[in-house]
Amino acid sequence: MPVGRNKRLVVSVLLLSMVLVLGLATSCFGSEEGVPPFPDYYKIGWTAVNFFILFAILYKFGYTPVLNMMEQRTTTIESSLRHAEELRAEVEQMRREAQNNLSESRKEAQDIVARATKIAEESKNEIIAKAQADARLEKEKALAEIQAEKEQALTELRDTAASLAIMAAEKVLGRALTDADHQGMVKEFVKEAGDLLC
Amino acid sequence: MIFASSYSPILYLGPVPVYDHTVAQWLVMIVLGVTAFLATRNMQAVPRGLQNAWEAIVQLCYDFFGGVLDEHAAKKWTPILATFFLFILTSNYIGLFPGSATIHGFVPPTADWNTNACLALIVFFTVQISGFVAHGSHYLGHFISPHPAFLPLAIIEELVRPLSLTLRLFGNIFGHEMIVSFLVLMAPFLVPMPLVALGVLTGLIQALVFTILATSYVAAATGEGH
Repeated sequence: MPVGRNKRLVVSVLLLSMVLVLGLATSCFGSEEGVPPFPDYYKIGWTAVNFFILFAILYKFGYTPVLNMMEQRTTTIESSLRHAEELRAEVEQMRREAQNNLSESRKEAQDIVARATKIAEESKNEIIAKAQADARLEKEKALAEIQAEKEQALTELRDTAASLAIMAAEKVLGRALTDADHQGMVKEFVKEAGDLLC
Repeated sequence: MIFASSYSPILYLGPVPVYDHTVAQWLVMIVLGVTAFLATRNMQAVPRGLQNAWEAIVQLCYDFFGGVLDEHAAKKWTPILATFFLFILTSNYIGLFPGSATIHGFVPPTADWNTNACLALIVFFTVQISGFVAHGSHYLGHFISPHPAFLPLAIIEELVRPLSLTLRLFGNIFGHEMIVSFLVLMAPFLVPMPLVALGVLTGLIQALVFTILATSYVAAATGEGH
């Protein structure tokens, strides 16, 4: 027999003895002021009824609502944690996307700046080239005009010089020169004047 | 207090006598029922005040009994075990209220062994039912284990349990009540105070002892040993 059971047996016998002694004492000395009479089936019955009514009340109003609330709290906490985890993942995803967008934006901005710089450079070169061409044209046009004016001035000068020469020759010779004289003198004079002017 | 009580019925409901212990039990029921109702009538996710205290008590009971019983048994049997604890604790404290010595019927129900015997019988049947619920007809096997010759001892053991529960609780509470009553009669001013204070501790300890033993019986009946 196990030791624990032996001990319990001894205790049980002792308790049984106590019950017998107390029962004897109760029967001998039991009175209004002494140990309460036992068994009183009405009291036992009342206690059973009261205990089970109390158990029902506590089960309905005491334990079940608390258990339900704790279950609800557990569910809420679990769903909150799950939600928080989802949010965290979502935020992480958004952060990654924002990072990517930022990188792309930077790259795009750099491209735009590079493209704009290139376009500006091309525009500058084009404007400079156009300006240079225009300047060249203007110069050539001015030179041509100068040349034409020069030619015109030379022609006028020759004509004037020829007339003056004729008049001077007539004065010197005191006679009118023949056409052949004219021709010869003019040609010689013009030649000399032209050489001098040029 | 015990001297303010009478063992005669204080009234009759038809043919059924009502004793002062019964009235005190009704008082216990009202205190516990109203407390539970008020604590849980408008439950909030963040507990405050009475709800907080009640939740702590219930949670403490579930944790305590869950530590002795397995999870499944704890969920099933904690309500009745917690009711034992709360009922006995409140009953023990009824006699400590100021003025209980002079108010007729204001006596701890647990100072009457009829009350305790009834509670112990409920424990006895709870243990047997929990054993059958957990193991079915195999539960009967433990009465003849390890040998059929142990059957009488096993039966005596089962029967002595409620007896020991009854006498332990009755002896402590009744004895305390008697001593305090005598002291109140002999020297009513200040002298009984230490013993009344001790009664607070005794009441808690006896409620705990009764409930722990009941829990261990249920644990033995529902455990894997059978």
